[in-house]
Amino acid sequence: MNEILQANNLCKKYTVNNIEKEILKNVNLTINEGEFVSVMGPSGSGKSTLLYNISGMDKMSEGEVVFDGIQLNELSESKQSEIRLNKMGFVFQQNNLLKNLGIIDNIILSAYIAKNSPKEAINKKAEDLMKKTGIFDLAHNDITQVSGGQLQRTAICRALINDPIILFGDEPTGALNSKAASNIMDILHSINEEGTTIMLVTHDIKVASQSERVIFMLDGIIKGEYKLSKFDKNKNNIKKRESELSKWLLEMGF
Amino acid sequence: MIFKILKRDLLRKKIITIAVFIFIMLSAMLMASGTNMIINLLNSLDYIFEKASAPHFTQSHTGDFNQDIIDEWSTKNNLIKSRQTIEMINISGSNLYINSNLSEKHSIIDNGFVKQSKEFDYLLNLDNNIIKVTKGEIAVPIHYMQNKDLKIGDTIRIQNNNNEISFIITDFVRDVQMNPSIISSKRFVVNTTDFNTLKDNFGDSEYLISFQLKDINTLKEFRNQYSQSNLPQKGPTIDIQILRLMNSLTDGLIAAVIILISILLCVISLLCLRFIILLTLEEDYREIGVMKAIGISPSKIRNIYLSKYFILAITAAFTGYLLSLFVNSLFMDNIMLYIGKTPLSYFELLLPSAASFLIALIVILFSLFVLKRFKKVSAVEAIRMGSSGGIYSNNDKLALYKNKTINSNIFLGLRDVVLRFKTYIILFLVFILCTFIIIVPLNFLNTIQSPEFIKYMGVGKSDIILDLRNTQQMQKQFENIIAYLKNDPDVTKYAPYITGKYEIINQEGTAESLFVTTGNFDIFPIDYVNGKAPSEKNEMALSYLSANELEKNVGDSIVLIANGKKQNLILSGIYQDITNGGKTAKANINPDYDKAVWYNINFNVDSNIPDKVNEYNSTFDNIKVTDIEGYINQTVSNIIEQLQLLTITAILIAIFITILITLLFLKMLTAKDMSQIAVMKSIGIPLRDIKIQYITKALFILNLGIIVGTILSNTLGEGLLSLLLSVLGAKNIQFIINPLQAYILSPIFLILIVTVTTLLSINSIEDYNIEDINVE
Ligand SMILES: Nc1ncnc2c1ncn2[C@@H]1O[C@H](COP(=O)(O)OP(=O)(O)OP(=O)(O)O)[C@@H](O)[C@H]1O
Ligand SMILES: [Mg+2]
Repeated sequence: MNEILQANNLCKKYTVNNIEKEILKNVNLTINEGEFVSVMGPSGSGKSTLLYNISGMDKMSEGEVVFDGIQLNELSESKQSEIRLNKMGFVFQQNNLLKNLGIIDNIILSAYIAKNSPKEAINKKAEDLMKKTGIFDLAHNDITQVSGGQLQRTAICRALINDPIILFGDEPTGALNSKAASNIMDILHSINEEGTTIMLVTHDIKVASQSERVIFMLDGIIKGEYKLSKFDKNKNNIKKRESELSKWLLEMGF
Repeated sequence: MIFKILKRDLLRKKIITIAVFIFIMLSAMLMASGTNMIINLLNSLDYIFEKASAPHFTQSHTGDFNQDIIDEWSTKNNLIKSRQTIEMINISGSNLYINSNLSEKHSIIDNGFVKQSKEFDYLLNLDNNIIKVTKGEIAVPIHYMQNKDLKIGDTIRIQNNNNEISFIITDFVRDVQMNPSIISSKRFVVNTTDFNTLKDNFGDSEYLISFQLKDINTLKEFRNQYSQSNLPQKGPTIDIQILRLMNSLTDGLIAAVIILISILLCVISLLCLRFIILLTLEEDYREIGVMKAIGISPSKIRNIYLSKYFILAITAAFTGYLLSLFVNSLFMDNIMLYIGKTPLSYFELLLPSAASFLIALIVILFSLFVLKRFKKVSAVEAIRMGSSGGIYSNNDKLALYKNKTINSNIFLGLRDVVLRFKTYIILFLVFILCTFIIIVPLNFLNTIQSPEFIKYMGVGKSDIILDLRNTQQMQKQFENIIAYLKNDPDVTKYAPYITGKYEIINQEGTAESLFVTTGNFDIFPIDYVNGKAPSEKNEMALSYLSANELEKNVGDSIVLIANGKKQNLILSGIYQDITNGGKTAKANINPDYDKAVWYNINFNVDSNIPDKVNEYNSTFDNIKVTDIEGYINQTVSNIIEQLQLLTITAILIAIFITILITLLFLKMLTAKDMSQIAVMKSIGIPLRDIKIQYITKALFILNLGIIVGTILSNTLGEGLLSLLLSVLGAKNIQFIINPLQAYILSPIFLILIVTVTTLLSINSIEDYNIEDINVE
């Protein structure tokens, strides 16, 4: 399998009140093409920080990140954002849509800016994505006029509009009830099946148990990894995967 | 909680709060200085008029002169307290060398040489003492001291083909009659012996026949009596009221401009304040709601915020007043030099501080007014909504997906301005204002410098204008010049005009004197506000101000006394004229040569104009020959000079305000939009694209401002200027616009400034990152 993302000796330090705190300590991580990976760990362990740093949103203190064969940390900020725009997608827990744009505008914005295809094609694609995620009827609504789950689906459409290689999610289901959450997970699975690599940060064992690999973080280091089989919804083995995973997490001290 | 709110408020709005402080401070400072200037001006003027014992009425006269008639008339007149005739020798500029080897040939100033006065109208030195000079010494007008940087000990030389005489400067003249820069005559003081030498060898005499009255209120009556007498009247008159006005004009105007700028700054600070208060309301919406919910009364909540603006206004105004004490001397230099300074009473000292606190009061009242909105905050709504909700607005009609043509970033910028226009109002108003204060002076300057401006001066447009006055054998020389013109093959057409002082019967039935120009007004036509040129022998035209004063309209009849007879004339037209105090007339009657005060000839040539100007200037003595621009320039050179200064000042102020407000506004705006910018950055929208959005917003507002500002300049500005100039005699000023300057260079210049300032102000968005998303 091809490696799509590789982090070597990734370090991130913050200085608060003249005290230096190391949030990520020599993190090494590999993600393969087409994989569905979850990151778990207690609050404050550095999960979000890891996500921000491997995607180039934040500047790492030391180490290197290779993405799609490109050494990210050696690129200029504008080159990094170009890569985020064209090759990465992001879904956060909340607050990540632009308030002054409607649903469809939020989705197409990054494509209009990237200018990889004509505007008509982009609009068509946005419509397809919205149909697929079931929010097509809401296309012209304000973001204040839809539910939390619909917002997250909008965010997923936006993340996919430029056909990213990888989709990052930071607790994308964190603010949703279980029904809405499972709907989002279904969508993520279908994207994954179409070939997009997915990396999720989550607190939810149900979510994590649906991935192929779970990375466990504690105090800025990767404590361990747990491999699961490829998830198949029809096999109805969710309960079993969950219990396997929670047993392992307990062993890791979560 | 209250303290926390105020502290956060100050910290988060540090820059704009400081800016408001500075604006209020400057506004208070200028207000105090302007008031101080006016008080000092009026006070010092009183003082110097008393010291110099200013004449109440002065008639200038050139030509035959007999003191006996004056004495005889005066003894019979019971209004007069004292009288005096000063003989003044006019030295031609080409014979005068002021501490230099170059003569004053090109100067437009009439240089008069006098002895110190005996009875009144004393010429004072810089200490306001009466000047005394001995043989070989001279006292020189302050005008020259300032413009030629003269010092005691420098020399003045007067020289013509036959004679030469030199003086050493021992003093400088403060002259209540001829101080003002708009008066183009200046008086030099020499000793009696030297005066007689000058009289014998150089120049012609002009007589200043002055009177002081027992009661200043009888001035008008006296003026009428004088003008109806047979006393010498070949020349302009001036009275103490005009003198006071003239003396206070320059400084008064500066003081008025200073106060105007102060008001402008006050308005800007109010706009900024409104912006801060509304922003605070948005940010603290929830807190205010909570306070209301727990039962704190709305007026108490308002007072918490008000106290901050109260302290801000009072401290800023006080600092401004203190600063004014230091800058006062800067504004007072001119007054001190030309008029001198006198100590003030306590009351007068208090006025400037009162003026600066007036600014503070305005600011406080305004805050109170804007803070009224706090009352509208509903507790429940505030708590439920969290933040104020309505900050961002969306509209599907302007959706991005519908836009197929414009670049997306530019579209987003435009869209934001359209949807949140209220947020941008302060920037919009400031841009309008800046455009206005650049364009109006610029257009006026261009208008006054253009040959078209001649139409506001009551003179027809010709290639060359020849002006002859203040010489003894004027009529003879005039005839010589006409003869020369007739033989000049280059002259295509010409028209001689004779201006004399005639009497006209006013609406009260008494005679009033008026400068009437006679000649053919069809050869070089002028524009008439109403009616047409006087072409028939029984027609006359009046300047706008004369017509106003005489309450005459086109078609009315006017009684003019000419050649000793009353003549009934019909008013054929009204024209604009800012020369000679704006009160002139034109008639097609036979000229009365005895009353002639000056002669003009307009002519066109088919040869090189500057060469022709030179030819006539060197052929004839004591005449001024200029092309049309030169003529305007000479007549209004003072206005042009001051206007140039004003224009530069206005442009600098506009640049300063533009930069400052753009900077402040964008800092505030990006801080407000922080989380949205962070979102865009996180999903990979390049910084460059985000910056383009903000530059689009600023430039869009700027362009709207420029368009509205330019329209306002050309309508309101033009109207305002016409109103201002109608006092001088031109009521229909039409801007002559230099499109390159007004429509291309100025906008480009503003666009450059705003672009650069915007780029600098939004630089900080580079540091926004993903963590800022959750700031709200
Ligand atoms: N800007 C910052 N300055 C200083 N410390 C920071 C900053 N951002 C994060 N931290 C610290 O870094 C640590 C890791 O934060 P991070 O957000 O990565 O945790 P997390 O694992 O995502 O937690 P959670 O599950 O609660 O989201 C925390 O202790 C946090 O306090
Ligand atoms: Mg986190």
